[in-house]
Amino acid sequence: MLDTGHMLLTLASDAPAGAAPWWVMLIPALPMVGVVLCTLFAIMGVKSKLPAFATVGCLGLACVLAFAMLLGSDDAPGVVKAWQWFDISWGEGHGQTFSAIFGFYIDRLTILWMLFVTGLATLIGLYASEYMSHDQGQGYCRFFMAFNLFVFSMSCLVMGANMLMLYLGWEGVGLCSYLLIGYFYKKPSAVAAGKKAFIVNRIGDLGLALGVYLTFVHFGTIEYAELFASDQLQGYLTDAAHGHFEHIPAAAQMIPLLLMVGAFGKSAQLPLYVWLPDAMEGPTPVSALIHAATMVTAGVYLVARAYPLFQVSEYALPAVAWIGALTAFLAATIGMAQFDIKRIMAYSTVSQLGYMFAGLGVMTSIGAAAHVFTHAFFKALLFLCCGAVMHGFAGQLDLRKLSGVAKMKGWGIVGITMLIGCLNLVGFPVITSGYWSKDMILAEAFVRPSTGLVGWLLLITAGLTAYYTFRVFFRVFVGPVEYHPGEELHAHDDHAAGHGHSHDHGHAGYDHSHSPEPAHDSAHDEAHGHFHPHAPGWAINTVLVILAALTFVAIPLVALNHGGWVGEMVHGSTAHYEAAHAGGGSHGSVWLVGLDPHQVMYYISAVVGLAGIAVAWALHYRGRREAAHAPAAEAFKRVAGPLQRWAEHKWYVDELYDFLFRNPLWVLSQVFRYIDMLLVDGLVNTAGWLPSALGGRLRRGQHGLLQGYAGSMAGGLALFVVVVLLLVSRSA
Amino acid sequence: MTERLAYLWPELSLFIATCVVMVLGLSPSRETRRLCAWVSAIGLLVAAGLAVNAPVDSEALLPNLMPFAKLLIAMVGLVLLMLLAGTVDRDYEAEIASGRTVFHALRSNRAEFYSFFLFSLTGLMLTASAESLIWLFLALELTSLPTYIMVTISTRGTQSQEAGVKYFFLGALGAAFFLYGFALIYGGTGATHFADIAAVIAADGMNPILTLGMIIGLIGVSFKIAAVPMHFYTPDVYQGAAAPVSAMLAFVPKAAGFIAIIVLCALMGWRYGPGGESLPEAVRLLLWISAALTMTVGNTLALRQRSVKRILAYSSIAHSGYMLVGVVAGPGSDPARFTTNGIAAVLFYLLCYGFMNVGAFAVLAALRRPDGTEADDIDDIRGLCHTQPVLGWSMVLCALSLLGMPPLLGFIGKFGLFTSAISAGEIVLVVILGLNSAIAAAYYLRLVVTPYLERPAERDAMAVQRVAIPSRAIVAVVSACSVVVLVLAAQFLVTRSAIAGRVIETKPPVRAQTQP
Repeated sequence: MLDTGHMLLTLASDAPAGAAPWWVMLIPALPMVGVVLCTLFAIMGVKSKLPAFATVGCLGLACVLAFAMLLGSDDAPGVVKAWQWFDISWGEGHGQTFSAIFGFYIDRLTILWMLFVTGLATLIGLYASEYMSHDQGQGYCRFFMAFNLFVFSMSCLVMGANMLMLYLGWEGVGLCSYLLIGYFYKKPSAVAAGKKAFIVNRIGDLGLALGVYLTFVHFGTIEYAELFASDQLQGYLTDAAHGHFEHIPAAAQMIPLLLMVGAFGKSAQLPLYVWLPDAMEGPTPVSALIHAATMVTAGVYLVARAYPLFQVSEYALPAVAWIGALTAFLAATIGMAQFDIKRIMAYSTVSQLGYMFAGLGVMTSIGAAAHVFTHAFFKALLFLCCGAVMHGFAGQLDLRKLSGVAKMKGWGIVGITMLIGCLNLVGFPVITSGYWSKDMILAEAFVRPSTGLVGWLLLITAGLTAYYTFRVFFRVFVGPVEYHPGEELHAHDDHAAGHGHSHDHGHAGYDHSHSPEPAHDSAHDEAHGHFHPHAPGWAINTVLVILAALTFVAIPLVALNHGGWVGEMVHGSTAHYEAAHAGGGSHGSVWLVGLDPHQVMYYISAVVGLAGIAVAWALHYRGRREAAHAPAAEAFKRVAGPLQRWAEHKWYVDELYDFLFRNPLWVLSQVFRYIDMLLVDGLVNTAGWLPSALGGRLRRGQHGLLQGYAGSMAGGLALFVVVVLLLVSRSA
Repeated sequence: MTERLAYLWPELSLFIATCVVMVLGLSPSRETRRLCAWVSAIGLLVAAGLAVNAPVDSEALLPNLMPFAKLLIAMVGLVLLMLLAGTVDRDYEAEIASGRTVFHALRSNRAEFYSFFLFSLTGLMLTASAESLIWLFLALELTSLPTYIMVTISTRGTQSQEAGVKYFFLGALGAAFFLYGFALIYGGTGATHFADIAAVIAADGMNPILTLGMIIGLIGVSFKIAAVPMHFYTPDVYQGAAAPVSAMLAFVPKAAGFIAIIVLCALMGWRYGPGGESLPEAVRLLLWISAALTMTVGNTLALRQRSVKRILAYSSIAHSGYMLVGVVAGPGSDPARFTTNGIAAVLFYLLCYGFMNVGAFAVLAALRRPDGTEADDIDDIRGLCHTQPVLGWSMVLCALSLLGMPPLLGFIGKFGLFTSAISAGEIVLVVILGLNSAIAAAYYLRLVVTPYLERPAERDAMAVQRVAIPSRAIVAVVSACSVVVLVLAAQFLVTRSAIAGRVIETKPPVRAQTQP
């Protein structure tokens, strides 16, 4: 594997970065136009769906441009500069000139990401036009403004020409995530979730910031085009390929480890994954777009983009693989024991992101990108299906309180598309895109001997995934028809977590939703009479069908030889470095139960997935007569004992973090507060008292006003002259 | 002499506008009198246009100073003009309009007010064009003399008359100081032209009379920038004058003073001191002490003030101290690089200070108490973000920028001062500057917290209202926006300042044998 190191030098990004067409700048500009429009609508007090359609228009146009970018792309990366952003120098030496452009770096990885970001944003924007319709007015504008701002930030993140642009986008998406999680800002749990997401992300951002600083300090540039083509980095890569890691400075080896922390924060990996499940407090379209399909893949993007940097460290990629695999496994075990279907999907997202990182770590960036690509579609689909259920059943998300939804009138499309999404998530053999992308990662994990058990961990996780996914499907969508509406009388909000709150809190967020739609009235009657599920309308159904279709369209794009079209896209980008390793002697040299893992994994993972589905069927479908009780599952639960309870409580990780970090920090902050009060305030007050005492004296001398001033001036002049001359003569 | 005229077109344009305004303001027709502000604006715009295309004076010590300084003066002047509009004669004109009285030229102040404003700006521009000590003195006085009158007539109260008288007498004293200093410089070198003086200093080094002249001259000019020990008048005068005039006082004489100080220092050059890397030791020491004292005195005295105008006056003193740090640092080894060029940092800081300071005063000017007096007390701006959001937020932004909060304009200005002083090796001064920035936070944050976090007072009767002069609120908004927006153009502005801050120091200084 290492003897192929010379191949490293034949890199796609070795080609000098050409010029990208100017109009790619419109892709981030269009969502910005959307932000401005939505702000104007908010100011004008628009109370219609206008903001939604403006958003869909802007984003749709951006999506069309992303396609145009695909058609117009050639192999070489292109850079387009909007303006010079920074150009500061404070010395002549290496790393003493900091310059960064406000511009965009377009290679195939960028295009791949932008295609699904803009495409999904358009579709989900359309979905949200109906989903958020209860909030028309200020809230609606606010939602779509943040939505557009998110797409703008994500474009900066993905298309940015340097790490500073990436950082700008990184913080931007973090801000939008915060704003949208806390969309129902009068609901304490949503506010807490937003805060948690923001703070946990800050920890990751610190790593990213330090990584960027260190990159600049070490390489003297943060422009991708210069960085990846620099002789310095190429030299390190040659060393790394020959296994001479001791020739590479420790600082260069630190960079990937720091960037990794940032990626783990944004992409919800161990130990920073805790924010993502709580982020489900946001409206469901947000969960689908930001917290499942796009933003959380920013970490994967970062690693893929900086793949060359990750290869100069001996430990970076194995660490990524391990963290990814452990996260995948841990999140899957938690997902198995949850009851809130949206939360299950959130843990599944964490778990699938773990797969992607594991894929990057075992050097199949093609597999990782393919999984990002397919996951974006099927996970968005799953969330939107859950959202439709929630929208229709007054915020009900508990799988013990819903059953047989697919059989109800008007819910057929949701049922079928949900099934398609579940099959994709499970990796149902051959006919789902999730199967092909996941297999690439699994197979490669067994090929890499250096990462040991990662492959097995991922394989077990695949089985667990199948179980928890179909647990949801068998409980909620099939079986006897039964439903208990959620607490949310207005039949359309994310109130699952609001059960414990008082009536006031639960509804405080909807003061401004007063449009008296018939659905509202009927839902309202439910409190005293009968509840009718609120079947999804055309916008939601259309989007679900399109997304379901896209999961099939994705099959040929990822399934053919070496990752198909997606493989080709990754091939022409900075993430392609692994090809030199993977393409060498490693293939076929590692054997799993006497067969080539690439071949045998197709069968093994199929069997594991089907087994998981079978277990779910046995426990949650067979013999279940009502929504709340599945006899087989309860029998199993007794066998599992405390394990089940621990998993339900998320292995007490939140409590552990409270104990380890939050409480000590709180104590420390109290200590500092007293220091501040006694010491600092004391000093400041003294400093304040001193001049006022001084000022009082001065003012007393100034009652003579003019004469006093003139005297002081003349005296001051004389004093200055004497002092200066004395000092000079002393030193002379 | 006539070839010098080529550099003076902006001044001439302003001068012509001045003469026109002086006549227009005395017209019996109300419509004609109203043209004063517009004609002044046109004069300023023409001056700005001429300044853009001003030729570079390759003979001067600072060859690129004129275009930058004059454009800056014209631009800030336009903003100041908008702020000053409507300050005088407002009640009088209202009386005339209602027919209660008839127009009488002797009672009207409008013509004087606008034309003196333009005169002052003309003087300021002439300061930047000065080529000899006499010219410099006359230009400085042309800058200051009209402001004495403007302070006096800015309000109808006795307070502003008192302030005007105080300002006039102390200003005259200051002028006497620096005239004395200039005379000693002449005595020490036998020349009044800058080029000749610089040549003499380059050839023979400093001599005691010259050193004394420089010290007294610089201290005298310190009156214009309100630096210790010439700062005493500042709070009284700023508080006594109407807020728009105070805004002008904080910028126009300060700019003139700094240009004069830079030019005076350039006569000696920053490659002089014992190691050939700074001003002559005595001058460096003087400016060093003055900078350290000025910022400390300004900041500490501002801490306990309740009057916003006095806070801004002390802040104006402190900012002079900051800028003196840049003068001490000098242009550095490579003047083209902003981060090491202290002169460029000063020029850029003048620009920053011009906008953020005018913005803060404009907020005050745009408010009045129910009894018609100006808003001044800190209680007047309590909760302003809630009652008058536009003005409140302008105040918050300007105060944050004055504090030097990144990423606002003030931060970039302060950044240049810090880096240039560090690269000049003035570490102690940098530490003092840093400490002062921290002290300053205490009172600037009051200007942020009071309008934003605190709630407006319950008693509606005392609540401030917006004055019926929309241009003042516009100035507040424009300034507040510019402290944000100009950051985007910072690269351009910084490059321009670095060019303007280029000092010709080609002649290697002779090692000085100074006997004080």
